[in-house]
Amino acid sequence: MKNTIYVLAVIALTFTACKNEQKTDGHNDESSTEIHADSDGHNDNKKEVTHDNSDGHHDNDGNKSMGENRNIEDSSDKNTATTPIIDAYLQIKNGLVADDKAAAAKGGEALLQAFAGFDMGSLTKEQHTEYMEIIENAKEQAEHIIKSPIDHQREHFESLSTDINDMISLLGTEKTLYVDHCPMVKANWLSETKEIKNPYYGSKMMKCGKIQQQIN
Amino acid sequence: MRRIKKILKGLFFVILFVFAGIQFIPIDYNLNEVVSENDISKSFDVPIDIQNLLKTSCYDCHSNNTQYPWYNKVQPVSWIMESHIKEGKEELNFNEFKTYSNRKKKSKLKSIISQIDDGEMPLLSYSFFHKDSKFSKAEKIFIMEWFNKKLDSL
Repeated sequence: MKNTIYVLAVIALTFTACKNEQKTDGHNDESSTEIHADSDGHNDNKKEVTHDNSDGHHDNDGNKSMGENRNIEDSSDKNTATTPIIDAYLQIKNGLVADDKAAAAKGGEALLQAFAGFDMGSLTKEQHTEYMEIIENAKEQAEHIIKSPIDHQREHFESLSTDINDMISLLGTEKTLYVDHCPMVKANWLSETKEIKNPYYGSKMMKCGKIQQQIN
Repeated sequence: MRRIKKILKGLFFVILFVFAGIQFIPIDYNLNEVVSENDISKSFDVPIDIQNLLKTSCYDCHSNNTQYPWYNKVQPVSWIMESHIKEGKEELNFNEFKTYSNRKKKSKLKSIISQIDDGEMPLLSYSFFHKDSKFSKAEKIFIMEWFNKKLDSL
């Protein structure tokens, strides 16, 4: 019996020692399938005076990050194709308003489905590039919203709101929506109701925020 | 009594056998000799102090080069590490940062800042084994300030 152990140990050591050759090309296959538009994209006009964030806090000004310099009215063709995406987004938003992690996660799943069901055939080439960039990011946020605790869901919702707002500027919507601003997190969100219901704090600060813009 | 002893002995050998067996599973190393064309340093000017912090605290899981500890040669340790590294790189790869769209760059920078701020990164399980990876208070402020500046510049 003792001999068996020795034999096994020796075999094991030999084999692990042999596997030490280095792998040179890494495994980046996944990134090659992504669509990478050139990095300056359409956001050039968003550059504003950089403000020094010397307190080290991670505020970035929500006013700036969301659709500024973009005229939503201009692109308000009554697009119905974007409706399932917007509805799923609103489902996440309402989950967060209700402090309901599970409902928000469900909305995340609905959003992924809505993206999958979206017909890109009608997009122009430029629209397509921008749309792909938007949904690449939005999908990632949705995936996190599906699996994260509520405070993380809210962080990802912030980024997602920018994406959805930009998608609406790009493609339009038939829905009547309100762009609301939360001064506490300095971020925006979209709502289907005129009444302010803050998704970033839920019941803690339900009424905090103001309407910044109305779409349709 | 003798039967229990026999069973225990048998179990011991089964475990030993499995442990020896899994050592045959090849280890997939996350190593690259070339400096990536798409490293974050090609997007931003990364000062050496920041670069060192990134390398010590982040690059093991968020780049194409991992500094492996000796115990990585033992299974199932290397398995567990491999899956951590894979997940880490999918989430954020500093060596691929330049390929990200502006939108993605912004959202990654925001996540980096908030995770460092909340003390979620570097992972607790990682800094337990890599004591030097943990940011000191000053380092934390320093690195977050830098990332904030880069975020504003986009």
